[in-house]
Amino acid sequence: MTHSMAQFMRRCSSRFRPRVLAAALAGVLAIAGSAQAAEPDLPGFIHDGTLTICTNPTLPPMTFVNGNDVNAVDGIDMDIAHRLADYWHVSMVVTTMDFTGLFPSLAAQRCSMVASGIIKLPEREKNFDAVSYQDTALVVVARAGTPPLSSMADLSGKTVAVQSGTSYSARLAKENETLVQAGRAPIIIQQYPTEDQVVQQVLIGRVFAFASQDVELYYRQEQLHGKVSVILVPPYPEYGHFALYIRKNAHDRELLDQAIATMGQNGQMAAIQKKWAISPDVAKALANTSPAPMFRWDTFFSALTSTAFMRGAFITLAVAVLSHFTAIMISIPMALALNGRDSLLKMALKGYVSVFRGAPTLLQLLFIWNALPQFLPIFREAWFTPFLATWLSLSINESAYQVEINRAALGAVDKGQELAGDALAMSRRQVYRHVIFPQALRIALPPTINEFISLLKTTSLASVISLQELLAVTQIQVARTFEFTEYYAAALVYYLAMVFFFLFLQKRVERRFAWADRHKATANES
Amino acid sequence: MNPDPKTMPDPSAMISVRNLSKLYKDFIALDRISFDVQRGEKIVVLGPSGSGKSTLIRCFNRIEPHDSGILSIDGKIINAQTDLTQLRATVGLVFQNYNLFPHLSVLDNCTLAPRLVKKTPRADAAEMAMRFLQQVNIAEQANKYPIQLSGGQQQRVAIARALCMQPEVMLFDEPTAALDPEAISGVVGIMNDLAQQGITTLCVTHEMGFARHIADRIIFMDKGRILEITPPAEFFTTPKTQRARDFLDQMISY
Repeated sequence: MTHSMAQFMRRCSSRFRPRVLAAALAGVLAIAGSAQAAEPDLPGFIHDGTLTICTNPTLPPMTFVNGNDVNAVDGIDMDIAHRLADYWHVSMVVTTMDFTGLFPSLAAQRCSMVASGIIKLPEREKNFDAVSYQDTALVVVARAGTPPLSSMADLSGKTVAVQSGTSYSARLAKENETLVQAGRAPIIIQQYPTEDQVVQQVLIGRVFAFASQDVELYYRQEQLHGKVSVILVPPYPEYGHFALYIRKNAHDRELLDQAIATMGQNGQMAAIQKKWAISPDVAKALANTSPAPMFRWDTFFSALTSTAFMRGAFITLAVAVLSHFTAIMISIPMALALNGRDSLLKMALKGYVSVFRGAPTLLQLLFIWNALPQFLPIFREAWFTPFLATWLSLSINESAYQVEINRAALGAVDKGQELAGDALAMSRRQVYRHVIFPQALRIALPPTINEFISLLKTTSLASVISLQELLAVTQIQVARTFEFTEYYAAALVYYLAMVFFFLFLQKRVERRFAWADRHKATANES
Repeated sequence: MNPDPKTMPDPSAMISVRNLSKLYKDFIALDRISFDVQRGEKIVVLGPSGSGKSTLIRCFNRIEPHDSGILSIDGKIINAQTDLTQLRATVGLVFQNYNLFPHLSVLDNCTLAPRLVKKTPRADAAEMAMRFLQQVNIAEQANKYPIQLSGGQQQRVAIARALCMQPEVMLFDEPTAALDPEAISGVVGIMNDLAQQGITTLCVTHEMGFARHIADRIIFMDKGRILEITPPAEFFTTPKTQRARDFLDQMISY
């Protein structure tokens, strides 16, 4: 263990004492108040006997996927949530999503509570109620061997990575104001969507340091093989507690406070802390680590053959195929209308195409998932799953692109073909079904396959609304193990395999269009 | 020779036209046309380009709806309420550019419409198609795609395809205009054969041989109007109008 790490341990040891005093006090009050009532009062955020937890499982040991099953979220937060559910005699459901989606989801009433290793901050308490459950401290971490700093001002001019959506960047910005006033260079802040990427920036040497919580670092020590060390524990009292967040409600807040206090009193909290080894004596055992190999083939192959990756790939494929199919179905009548005479409908369709081609796909996904429920409460119900939301947004989005392909393809079919169909007494429907569409299909197929391949990869955006597609699964595994290269390589293999399969399919289908090529048609016939 | 425009259409005629007019915005494509075509008659429509020949025959299967006047086909008045399926099954049309369906084999080109429109069973449709393909001397190409055939062969397939609907009237819209001389003789030969079989035929063409030897009557048009309707012997030897004389002079010098 490095010198700085040892120093850090000493400084932090006092912080990990559970909030025994507060807990005991609250517990006594609770017992006195309820007079040994068997059933505690149920908070308003519990619906249908279910405590729904929103979490971003990429912050071990608070909340993370501890194994190959991406649906099994584990960690201190989850254990606490389980104890809370037991306390209220209700069941518990976990919804995982991108960090930036947590608070919008809480606001949209998609969950009862956000439990995701989030710091108790006055800014957040303006909009939500917070109940703290675990003491912590902010730490600044750099590669092993970096000499410790004496104050935040020493970071002047250096690059620091933080997880986006967290409050660290705001805190560093405040630090920068002081630096700039003193005529010094500010800290350069880089933000990454997941904590593991933040750490990776330090490991690969792109940034000087990252800001994180001490609790997390304990857990990371094992994976990081002593590659990082704490260089500074800035005196930020406001970073002292992890908290559970609920929608503003004084009564609910009080009930949650009581529940946490009771857990502190009856030893449940201490058991959880022991289980997750967030105490300095455990850290010592982790000091003896050997350097990691460059590429672990066993990790790569086990990822490749894991049900988690197969399931992720299946979800990616399913949502892409369904979305594109729906998009094509919507876009054919749209293309016919757009190729037709001017009308109000045509103007509306032009607007539709402009809006959905213009807006970023990510924004559309976030809008449908987080904003739509605020207008239409029906979309916050359980049936509206991340899968359905992704299907809906990608269908709409893709149809705006597909309609242009269809329009061009339909326009490219010789006008004489329609005339010939008419002259042969065929109905409008028959002309389109048997004459126009088969010819337009040949023209539309290559750009459509192109679109599909693009869409297959666009599905990875849906991790922000908690769809467990291939890339989300990969990131969760990386957050757990820090084996970037192995899991990225496994994901790459899956994506490439899917894309090559569709390119192969395209070739097969194109062979059926031999009629368009004189030489091929001759060859086929013989 | 011309029927009186004020009379009602002749119900016994295959095609009967009274005061037929057609406008494209402010351009008069057809200007008060009146004539009758009897069953089994062969009519060749001549005239300089832009004279309205194609527009006229395309009115007969309502691919070009007329704007005013009365049109009667097989004794039935044709208007917006007409059952187009029935009309077009009665009146076949062959285009200058063949307009074969490129994605279907020669045989499927011929069987598609009978199967879809007349619900003819596949085997029966194929048998009939082979008969007509034989008639146009192209049966051995039945399984090829249009792209593999020459222009003349494609036009013969187009004729067979139209015949498969067993029409009572055949309209030919400059069927040889896109063909080389060798291919022309093949297509004209087929049209001769058809004419012998007694099917009512209207043909827009510049093929003077066909006009002279096969047509019962020549319709000569200019600027959307009919200038002459006469038997070919008369038309080619003693045209009544100066416009027709000029037209024939040009044809010969060309």
